[in-house]
Amino acid sequence: MSTLDATGQTTRRPFEGRRVHPGDVILQVLAGGAALGTVILLGLLVYKVVQGARLSLSTFGLGFIGSVGWDPLHNAMGAGSLLFGTAVTAIGALVLATPLALGIALFLTELAPGAIRGPVTALVETLAAIPSVVIGLWGIIVLGPLLRDHVMPALHSTLGFIPLFGTPSPTGTGIFTAIVVLTIMILPIISSISRELFLGVPGELKEAALGLGTTRWEMVRGVMFPYARGGIAAAMILGLGRAVGEAIAVAQVIGAFDNGISWNLFNNGDTLAAKLANEFASSTTNLETASLFYVAVILLVFSLAVNILAQVIVRRVDRAQGRTV
Amino acid sequence: MPRNGKLVRIAVALAAAALLGALAVTSAGAAGKHSTGVVKGAGSSLVAPAVAQWASMYKTDQIQYAAVGSGTGIKQISARLVDFGASDAPLTKSQAAGCKSCAQIPWALTATIPVYHIPGIADHQLKLTGTVLANIYLGNIKKWNDPAIKAINKGLNLPDMNIAVVHRSDGSGDTYVFTNYLSKVNSAWKHQVGCSTTVSWPTGVGGNKNNGVAAIVQSTPGAIGYVSDFYAIQQHIAKARLKNAAGAYVLPKISSIEAAAQLVKSEKIPANNKISLTNPPKSKKYKNAWPMATFTYVLIPESSPKAGQLKAFVTFALSPAAQSAIKKLVFAPMPSNVIKAAKKTLATIHS
Repeated sequence: MSTLDATGQTTRRPFEGRRVHPGDVILQVLAGGAALGTVILLGLLVYKVVQGARLSLSTFGLGFIGSVGWDPLHNAMGAGSLLFGTAVTAIGALVLATPLALGIALFLTELAPGAIRGPVTALVETLAAIPSVVIGLWGIIVLGPLLRDHVMPALHSTLGFIPLFGTPSPTGTGIFTAIVVLTIMILPIISSISRELFLGVPGELKEAALGLGTTRWEMVRGVMFPYARGGIAAAMILGLGRAVGEAIAVAQVIGAFDNGISWNLFNNGDTLAAKLANEFASSTTNLETASLFYVAVILLVFSLAVNILAQVIVRRVDRAQGRTV
Repeated sequence: MPRNGKLVRIAVALAAAALLGALAVTSAGAAGKHSTGVVKGAGSSLVAPAVAQWASMYKTDQIQYAAVGSGTGIKQISARLVDFGASDAPLTKSQAAGCKSCAQIPWALTATIPVYHIPGIADHQLKLTGTVLANIYLGNIKKWNDPAIKAINKGLNLPDMNIAVVHRSDGSGDTYVFTNYLSKVNSAWKHQVGCSTTVSWPTGVGGNKNNGVAAIVQSTPGAIGYVSDFYAIQQHIAKARLKNAAGAYVLPKISSIEAAAQLVKSEKIPANNKISLTNPPKSKKYKNAWPMATFTYVLIPESSPKAGQLKAFVTFALSPAAQSAIKKLVFAPMPSNVIKAAKKTLATIHS
């Protein structure tokens, strides 16, 4: 299979010209098929979701994205508070989870005694295996009341001058509780990737730094972090994706408040994914069903935007790294 | 890489175990099919314990019921993915149109109940009226020691505590009954919020499903919520007395739910069997009636390939034995005239 390029010469594909191994063909077909399958699946999914949203798209137009409130009985629906809640919970969880996860990864690769590395690694990764509905239930029964009785009042009394830390919620549900639940869920993702990255830092580099008389922290900061920076950013993107898309656990603890936007993290709120989890099975009107599809479209676009933005950041970081090292 | 080799071996072992398990299940299923047929249903989680009870008693066919929620049940029967659906709220106009001539047959009678968590106030001690309940859920009454609550609870030491309003965040038959009742007793509620399985709540926090509401109420001092009665009793949450139109503060019990269902006798049953039992009128007859009782419905396509099997099963569910068997799950037996209407509709099902 040779093709003519612009200059009229034949170009050759990598495997061409050699004797064709059946194994190579099978590999090509399987790998190509898998990649193509993903693209087709995503295309079908986007098509179906947009098609489902048509009624809502034509009724509400782009105004849907910014308007606040969810009242299917009076045909008034909007995604404003959902979009806000999604952004705040995902960013909040990322801000809390990243330093914790890096700490865990450093501890497990550099600081922990050999005997406890294995068990602790396994335990941290087990966190990722807990079903989200279980974390959500634990969030209502245990975590929410704990945050309400101890953490929220403390934050309010010390940092209350910042609008984010207003009056605590009486129920223990709300945006802040959702952030903590999401933090727990994305922690193992970021920490296990970071651990692999730190393990991949060449020993010679580390020894060279220590040999130059750096302290361990200086070595971590000067050698390990720069070496792993791009990978850590990628791990954060994965974590962010999980936080944006998590539905059930958030639906259980966030309190489903759609009628306004509040900067007080202790208030109830709602997210795009949680709204879908709560309402999709029980929507009563065609317009509400279409509006939920519209919410799904926004969630898709939002996730895509986050991913693209994150890719851009990773490239920037890599380039900056290239210049400084 | 010995570690990888081990991982691969573990993975292979797991896959093999899963395959064996699946084979065992299929063969067991096949063995079960020899004697009986299978009737599949999906919908309301409220009625699920009753259907499970009936399925265990019913020997003719195997009943497979998925408690996926009323809304999903309606969607699945509309797409004819299951043989019957089950919904707590009667079908809305657009749902009925979407279901393409589905018969809606009442098959169980139960209730929604306000529950609370106030330190120092035990089960059954708190009294509420529809107006007070509406004002709490509208956000007009904010404290437990509000004069309006104190006036109807003389002798109770109500604390100076904020009321934490809890409602369902997912669409639900309980929300339908609750908002249906509040719309009947309070015009502000009717105009501002309305009645549906999903409404725009003026205040409060949403819990996911009955267990979400129950968990938030139980972990929040000062909370008020509403759940289906089976749930309230199972979870040992404090249940409120509610004032009915006749002026009595009643408890949610089989007898008070049955009393509310007496309402049907004086009301003509429409062809679609849509019957509301909330807020029975002011009359001595309903002195003992619980104001938030409700029928829950089975949805069957008027023309179904399994018409015979479905008719046999629903006829069984309507039988006195089946109706009294679910009393322990806090479903009241349906009154005879409703059973008669249900059977009349059932007779129209054909293949």
